[in-house]
Amino acid sequence: MTEQAILDAVQEIFRDNFDDDTLVITRDTCADDIEDWDSLEQINLLTAIEKKFSIKFKLADVRGLKDVGDLLDLVKRMVG
Amino acid sequence: MAYTYLITGATSDVGTALIDRLLDGAPSDTLVLAQGCGDVEKLAPLCQKYPGQVRPFDVDLSDMLKVDAFIRLLEQTAPVPTHFVHLPALPVVNTRFKNFDEERFARDMEIQVHSAVKICRVFVPKMAKAGFGRVLFIQTSYTIGCPPKNTAAYVMAKSAIGGLVKSLAVEYARQGVTVNCVAPSMMETHFLKDTPDLIVQAAAADNPMGRNATPADVVPAMAFLLSEEARFITGVTLPVTGGSAIV
Repeated sequence: MTEQAILDAVQEIFRDNFDDDTLVITRDTCADDIEDWDSLEQINLLTAIEKKFSIKFKLADVRGLKDVGDLLDLVKRMVG
Repeated sequence: MAYTYLITGATSDVGTALIDRLLDGAPSDTLVLAQGCGDVEKLAPLCQKYPGQVRPFDVDLSDMLKVDAFIRLLEQTAPVPTHFVHLPALPVVNTRFKNFDEERFARDMEIQVHSAVKICRVFVPKMAKAGFGRVLFIQTSYTIGCPPKNTAAYVMAKSAIGGLVKSLAVEYARQGVTVNCVAPSMMETHFLKDTPDLIVQAAAADNPMGRNATPADVVPAMAFLLSEEARFITGVTLPVTGGSAIV
């Protein structure tokens, strides 16, 4: 799966989660860029991503995520 | 004195573990009146293990008319409870306050608080008249200190339980009735079925003991507060948290 395909799918999840159809994310997007992106939304996002890609995150995998780029890299590693 | 335990929410993981703990080695005239809702088959192993000592009742505690009928049935068919343990609650839903589900909250309040008030109003005065009673609720460590965000409904309902406990404790202290709570930290049971795994893992990692609570951690504390020896302890909320919430 290409990084662009993962980004597109993750962007859809972000749009759905934050209820904003115009939201555009990049590798540099982080929690400071989206007002409602708090710890709960982080869990909601990760849970939705787990479902979308049929993967299961471990806490250690996700605690160090700094931005969308880290998230995409993690998903890419897990989906192979 | 033969003990009769009225346990609501008895089909939960904590409820079944508590029943097993209370009946193991207890005199044969010890009786458990065990309420569940649509899942009383979970009590079957206990009914088999302790023949005649566990009476299941299938009652929807969110329906006050059914609660009233349940109370009347108990009054007509069972000994007056010496102990009342109230465990039921809807599973925690982590959600922002702007998405607060008022309907669900109202139902949770019926199950957790209003049903308890109705049951206490009937049976606690009878315990007082008998000069002995133990009432125990399960609260949450979320009510100790700063609660986690996004749990308003759960924290409010559990806080109401805390108010009931303190009020009943002082009102009935002289009649030999104690009223207490245990307040576990996140406990790994079926109750967490709607909680994302990552939240459960994070709670375990953040706990000073490095894990979440289990029924095996909480039930002994409950059994103690229900015991005769705990006679001078009333109105307390006992944290069972591995140190994650300290009074």
